[in-house]
Amino acid sequence: MSLHDPAQLMDERRRLEGLGLSVTRYGGAIGLIGLVLACLMGFIQENGMDRFFFVYLTNFIFFLSISLGALCFTGIQHVTRAGWSIVVRRLMELLAANVVLMAILFIPIIFGLHSLYHWTHAEAVAHDPILQHKAPYLNTAFFLFRAVIFFAVWIGLALFFLRKSTEQDESGDYKISIRLEKVSSWGLFLYAMTTTYASFDWLMSLDPHWYSTIYGVYFFAGSAVALFATLSALCIGLQKSGRLTRAITTEHYHDLGKFLFAFTIFWAYIAFSQYMLYWYANKPETTGWILRRQTAPMLWVSLSLIFCHFFLPFFGLLSRHIKRNKSLLFFWAIWMLVMHWVDIYWLVMPEYVHQYGEIGAAPFGLMDIFCLIGFGGLYAAGFAMWARGRSLIPMKDPRLAESLTFENA
Amino acid sequence: MVTAPYTREIDNTQDDPRVRAPLVTGDNDFGSVTNKVCSIVEDPRIHRAWLIMLAISVSFLGILGAMISYLVWEGVGVWGVNNPVGWGFAIINFVFWVGIGHAGTLISAILYLFRQKWRTSINRSAEAMTIFAVMCAGIFPGIHVGRPWLAFYLFPYPNFMGMWPNFRSPLLWDVFAVGTYATVSVLFWYVGMIPDLATLRDRAKNKYRRIAYGVLSMGWRGSHRHWHRHEVAYLILAALATPLVLSVHSVVSFDFAVAQLPGWHTTIFPPYFVAGAIFGGFAMVLTLLIPVRHFLGLKEIVTLRHIENMNKVLLFTSCIVGYAYSVEFFTAWYSADRFEMFTFLNRMFGPYQWAYCVMVFCNVIAPQLLWSKKNRTNLYVTMFVAMCVNVGMWFERFVIVVTSLSRDFLPSSWGMYYPTLIDILTLMGSFGLFFTCFLLFLRFLPAIAMAEVKTVMPQAHLDRGHHRGAGDYHGDIPGAHKVEVKAEV
Repeated sequence: MSLHDPAQLMDERRRLEGLGLSVTRYGGAIGLIGLVLACLMGFIQENGMDRFFFVYLTNFIFFLSISLGALCFTGIQHVTRAGWSIVVRRLMELLAANVVLMAILFIPIIFGLHSLYHWTHAEAVAHDPILQHKAPYLNTAFFLFRAVIFFAVWIGLALFFLRKSTEQDESGDYKISIRLEKVSSWGLFLYAMTTTYASFDWLMSLDPHWYSTIYGVYFFAGSAVALFATLSALCIGLQKSGRLTRAITTEHYHDLGKFLFAFTIFWAYIAFSQYMLYWYANKPETTGWILRRQTAPMLWVSLSLIFCHFFLPFFGLLSRHIKRNKSLLFFWAIWMLVMHWVDIYWLVMPEYVHQYGEIGAAPFGLMDIFCLIGFGGLYAAGFAMWARGRSLIPMKDPRLAESLTFENA
Repeated sequence: MVTAPYTREIDNTQDDPRVRAPLVTGDNDFGSVTNKVCSIVEDPRIHRAWLIMLAISVSFLGILGAMISYLVWEGVGVWGVNNPVGWGFAIINFVFWVGIGHAGTLISAILYLFRQKWRTSINRSAEAMTIFAVMCAGIFPGIHVGRPWLAFYLFPYPNFMGMWPNFRSPLLWDVFAVGTYATVSVLFWYVGMIPDLATLRDRAKNKYRRIAYGVLSMGWRGSHRHWHRHEVAYLILAALATPLVLSVHSVVSFDFAVAQLPGWHTTIFPPYFVAGAIFGGFAMVLTLLIPVRHFLGLKEIVTLRHIENMNKVLLFTSCIVGYAYSVEFFTAWYSADRFEMFTFLNRMFGPYQWAYCVMVFCNVIAPQLLWSKKNRTNLYVTMFVAMCVNVGMWFERFVIVVTSLSRDFLPSSWGMYYPTLIDILTLMGSFGLFFTCFLLFLRFLPAIAMAEVKTVMPQAHLDRGHHRGAGDYHGDIPGAHKVEVKAEV
């Protein structure tokens, strides 16, 4: 049963309350323990720290991409004056605000630069004319400077969105919506530039010889998938816990499902564009990166992306009935999150295999699981901390009524 | 054709988030919308301006016919193409015209799925533009094959010679991509038009019109079942057309990107071409609609808000195109590939520098004017930017095709490309075809999707009880009409 009037929202449970506190506590504790365990495993194994930093980067990028997806789509909701999405927008704002946490979690990567990035090895650069050519861009000082800029832009935008939106909860001032719309327009431009170069820096430069102009778009496509999967699962989870039970309706799930479906296809389109063009031209300087991913041990990872990141969810999410069924949508949301993690793994780990010459099965083990749990716990705790004292719905957004009553015609 | 009194401009571009702005201004109801749109087609008088424009367009169409005849008679030697630039105006024009079409499909399919209600006023004419642009585009590869009477070899059909087209060639993929696109676009346009054709049939005053529109409207009676089937078909066609918006120009970009040529072989080409196509297409929609709404008295249906929204799309896609230029440039340097680096420096400082400058100015710099709302709602500025983009997007294809081919890996094989008069006249002639079709469309078919426009008017929601408050403009909601026309921001 949907609501027709924002006043009826007063009967809803709109805050995390006690749940938030326990998520912060337990999530934080589990998160720290997970990361410490993963790090310890790195210490005790021979050359384990190199492996640890690659695993750390994989999970860092995975959770970062959720927040970046949320940041982008919060901005898009503002700039397009979207009405349907108001009831889920606060959740996006909270997810986006987690870039602050990700900025803190970036610090360990600084200590792992030498393990991760071949171009930081002075002796390697000295013998490599290509790396010498790239040195004005790929050098540690400029790399860190850029990271500061990226996080400054993201944190600035995310906190602005969250703060202004919360402010509107109190005042109900409609001019805040106009201000958010204006900032979002150029904010999205900054977002696009920073996200592109962040993906170049942190992911593409893992193989400093390789390049692809579409890489930023590929990363964006993945982060959109990550956002809509997370958001769908989060809404369903919150409703299970008795929150927002009437504000978020089947209609909103239907739309979230459509976006998840659309970006699953968009991801495949971008991935295909990149792969097909490099495969077709078959130039040695660009095919090496692909070759590492379509030979053992990574071949099965690549194949799983084709089938499980595209074909299965394509047919799985095609039907309207599935998008409107909470259990099935939840299943596909979790499925896509898992596959998005595999996608990031596919971007990062073949470079580890390449650099450190491990042969055999694809590297995956306890360390990955600890690290994933660690990041997951901290990410959930971060989310709960941002949600503390805030309504999970923008209570006085001028378009709230529209969102509450909207229907997929 | 009616000489409608030029309605005054009503500003409905207010930003107030508390109320959705009206999409049809003035004192209109369903009847007046029908009258306004149908009278364009029904007026027995012929508007002199229309006749003059048609005469000019048909002259250019004649030039196109003459140029093609000459080409077929003499061979492609009459064009400026030669080694090393074997692809000249023909491919540039092909990509240019296919690109124009994309805005129509974006408006009719993607904006439909995004529930952008303002699309209803502009989708019909934009879809018509799509079809005519694809027609213009289709000519060029056809006449470029050397022996156009054998162009049907492009289609894979079983034949006793055992001869098949090369399925590995992206040019063949184009045949399928553009063929599918043209088919779906025509279907979509036609299916959407059936209820309006029936309106014209019902209003027809003479037998011939009744028969013509009667046949075209396929027995439409406006029953609930008809409407239900129609809307289901429309939704399915929109869903099918949506991937086409991306796929067609992606395949067109493959023509270049699968090659190993520096400046062509880059992975961002597919989405970048798509964004560029939508960019160029919206500029053409604006170029067409601003005069149309003025001369046909449609300012209350194609309102200032529609213009402003289209300008926003123009600005957004301009930013994407600018982003792609910059990422390409950066990656050319970052790749450390000397041929890549040379190609991009050559574009900027080489013999085609002027074309590059035109491209950057028109596609990236001029649209920045649209950051200001004042400019977005100023028709002269809008027209200026749209004209810039029309020119700029043609030059973008010129820069891509010609600069990369004219100077490739081996300096001894470099050469300049100069179009001949025949090239230039053929391009101008294609505009003749385009405008002839568009002018005839305005005269004989409903230029506005009347049935769809009515669904976004407040009168369409009066009986929906508590649901009527959301997402639409409602003149009947207390307070809604009180919003000042120019909300203070």
